[in-house]
Amino acid sequence: MANTWGYGAMTNSLGDIQNSKAIIIFGANPAVNHPVGFQHFLKAKERNNSQLIVIDPRFTKTAAKADFYARIRPGTDVPFMYGMLNIIFKNGWEDKKYIDDRVYGMDEIKKEAAKWTPEKVADVTGVSAEQLMQITKVYAKSTPGTLIWAMGLTQHSVGTSNTRLAPILQLSLGNMGVEGGGTNILRGHDNVQGATDMGCLADTLPGYYGLSSGSWKYFAKSWGVDYEWLAGRFKSKDWMSKKGFSLARWYAGVLGGKPGEDKIHNAGTNLKALFVMGNGITSIAQQAKVKEALDNLELIVLADPFVNEAAILTDKKDDIFLLPAATQFETSGTVVATNRTAQWRYQVVEPMYESKPDQDIMFEFAKRLGFYKEYTKAMLMRDNKTEFKWPEDATNEIARIIKTIGLTGWTADRLKKHTDNWHMFDEVSLRGSGPMKDEYYGLPWPCWTETHGGSTVLYDINRSVKEGGMGFRNRFGMEHNGTDLLAGKSSAPKGSSNPNGYPEINAKNIEAVLGITLTADEKAKIGKNWKVDTSNIIAEKCMKAGIAPYGNARARAIVWTFPDQIPMHREPLHSPRTDLVKKYPSFEKDKENHFRVDTKYGTLQSSKDWAKEFPINLVTARLVNLNGAGMENRASKYLAALTPEMFCDIHPDLANNHGIRNGGMMTIHSPEGTHITVKAKFSFSVSPDRIFIPFHFAGVFQGRDLKSHYPDGTAPYATGESANTVTNYGYDIITQIPETKGGLCRIEKA
Amino acid sequence: MSSEMSRMKFYCDDDRCIECDGCSVACAEAHELPVGISRRKVVTLHEGIEGKEFSTSVACMHCTDAPCEQVCPVDCFYIREDGIVLHDKEVCIGCGYCLYACPFGAPQFPRDGAFGTKGAMDKCTMCAGGPLETNSVHERELYGQNRIAEGKVPVCASMCSTKALLVGDSENIATVYRARVASKGKGVQTAPFGWSKAYGQ
Repeated sequence: MANTWGYGAMTNSLGDIQNSKAIIIFGANPAVNHPVGFQHFLKAKERNNSQLIVIDPRFTKTAAKADFYARIRPGTDVPFMYGMLNIIFKNGWEDKKYIDDRVYGMDEIKKEAAKWTPEKVADVTGVSAEQLMQITKVYAKSTPGTLIWAMGLTQHSVGTSNTRLAPILQLSLGNMGVEGGGTNILRGHDNVQGATDMGCLADTLPGYYGLSSGSWKYFAKSWGVDYEWLAGRFKSKDWMSKKGFSLARWYAGVLGGKPGEDKIHNAGTNLKALFVMGNGITSIAQQAKVKEALDNLELIVLADPFVNEAAILTDKKDDIFLLPAATQFETSGTVVATNRTAQWRYQVVEPMYESKPDQDIMFEFAKRLGFYKEYTKAMLMRDNKTEFKWPEDATNEIARIIKTIGLTGWTADRLKKHTDNWHMFDEVSLRGSGPMKDEYYGLPWPCWTETHGGSTVLYDINRSVKEGGMGFRNRFGMEHNGTDLLAGKSSAPKGSSNPNGYPEINAKNIEAVLGITLTADEKAKIGKNWKVDTSNIIAEKCMKAGIAPYGNARARAIVWTFPDQIPMHREPLHSPRTDLVKKYPSFEKDKENHFRVDTKYGTLQSSKDWAKEFPINLVTARLVNLNGAGMENRASKYLAALTPEMFCDIHPDLANNHGIRNGGMMTIHSPEGTHITVKAKFSFSVSPDRIFIPFHFAGVFQGRDLKSHYPDGTAPYATGESANTVTNYGYDIITQIPETKGGLCRIEKA
Repeated sequence: MSSEMSRMKFYCDDDRCIECDGCSVACAEAHELPVGISRRKVVTLHEGIEGKEFSTSVACMHCTDAPCEQVCPVDCFYIREDGIVLHDKEVCIGCGYCLYACPFGAPQFPRDGAFGTKGAMDKCTMCAGGPLETNSVHERELYGQNRIAEGKVPVCASMCSTKALLVGDSENIATVYRARVASKGKGVQTAPFGWSKAYGQ
């Protein structure tokens, strides 16, 4: 997404889905995972006759409400979407003017799409040619259409290709930058968007500034600390710009060097300590490896309101510390919703018992580690204070520093006003009225200035920049292979002083692009470019001229720095179709130093005929009553009572062929050499070639009950085998997200 | 509206019900029910079958001519003026006749103890408590919260994630549902119909 048009975030909003004429969902199950948000989908159907199309390996609760459902084979989204594009281009249903003005590289896509005839797509995806044609026609003809996805699309070794082709499909139909259109990615937890915005990632500073020395220097300056002091915290300067281990493969950092383990690149040392704040690390792939890594750490610190089951999984007895963290109700501050909006939350109760809010835990650590002053200094800088007020000054610090995604307008005062005046906003357009007029609820970023009302529909050129309009971001240079990458003529946002494409704004080009002259004083104060201009002169001038500070460029279908410049179909590392693995193999070369660890692709895929030994597709996902690693929900008796045991959805035909009875026990074997034994639940939601297991259980590991590991009185009502004990090896080539949505397994009666 | 004129009802819009169980969990949590007592349940039929699967939320429907009341040998049921069917747990002998008579399987019996111990029947009160003093500790213990007395919507409907479950005076329910039906295919309106035409944007 970010590599297509500039930002990697939901482009519209949940409410805006009500404006859609068609909704197509790839690998998301909002009826289960976003039940409240799903009312907007249902309202779109009710009020708008919107056509709901669900593409999923399982007949989900969302599919139960769909007008069209296609049962796709896991890991074949790229062929499905190329199949749609094939039909769209063949019939001339694409939006030609839109593509001409605002997209680069669609011709390459067209060429690849031509190869994916409906018959070929049917063979690869398992969706019939007729159904593909019917769905494509309905979707292409019912505009605006919105495209929804979640982890079902991303958690593949080709996740990045999936999340590039989906935007390309939307671009081909001109569905981007319009109400009722967009690529609406549904975030999986409260504040996931906020966590990534704030840099809870292995490869960037907050605000997606990356890890270049320029970025570090900008932050050093903004935090009021010496760059050399920051650099001194690292082993050596060059480590500042290197990606860290990711959540998906942190365990490799502990196990690297052991026989059979992937090689690591971590300055000659293994990871020795692990500090986890509110992350269910027992719900990530390769549970057996995670356990081994936990066992081999010297120190484990887990800060969580509940017992983090990492402490239960490990057999390590000493040097594990459980820090009681307070819940969201015991502290205050902002969270960021899936649609880039901030919401201020007030404290409801004081932290209970010995628990402390996360920030207090971190402050205490900073004090003991000797950098509390440096750690908190940035909160004092805006108003030259001697003492900070939490969380207002932290919010204002973010607003002061993060320019890349336009958080300048997110001051604490403004955000509080939005929460206080919640009733003054429209649920569909998010527009405010009365005192909140000219603002969108939660000031969806980019919110360029302290008077800007936010941008609720990204890339909408039918609104002025002041009203939240913008073109695509100029992020990939001015030209590629001789083609201009700036947007075409007359495709600037409404009311722009420059009607055409223009570059991102910096101190050098601002006068030329905006057609203004800066005063000497302004020239002295202005920052180098819009991303580091803390004077905010660039943004203010841009608002007056109706110019988006980040430029007005073309979205791109080709990413020339990626191994696959256009998305290509590659079979999952563990595919049930060995014949297709030969035709569409994974990446030939393994990826060296991928987030500090060598990662296998083609070599593993072709190392044996996996499907012969493990013929069943394994799909994991969530349940409505449980969330994430599930500890907090399984500790609620009413929620636990709905699914008191770990289970496997299995088609009666498949079960009966293996002598497995409804309610009987079955064992699932993984290519990883691991196995779990769980209760069989007959279900028609899965076809006979695949099974489904939920990933919220823990507390049992390959038949071993770990109940005795829970501190007294903390064992949840429900425990069970973890699905991720049997999910397969496989990681995305760019992001390293694990391939949990399409592995293989073998089943037998237990 | 005075209570003589209102008639309380439940309505579950199965086009909207997604089996999230928000209603049943909210009910159990609010009334602190023992696990195993389900005053409200979400039922899904034909699960996983295309074109057939649907879900609906069921509890005591507070029938006009309530069969439970008619068959009760100790006459522990009473029907309020607004139609809410309640019973006196201190009179109930736990015989289970009401369960036989109920078309919805609403009456619940305690399950703790061996050999299917009976005990006073428990069922949905539409969050209206029981015959004891309103909002007293005793009422809360035996019947759960009395939200109706506080002018609140029953907790199941207020928690419903898609607003499939409607509860309240039948006329109000009809109004909500009628608006839903009437808006079908009319598109999204962010201002009242005719507003922009009459008064401009």
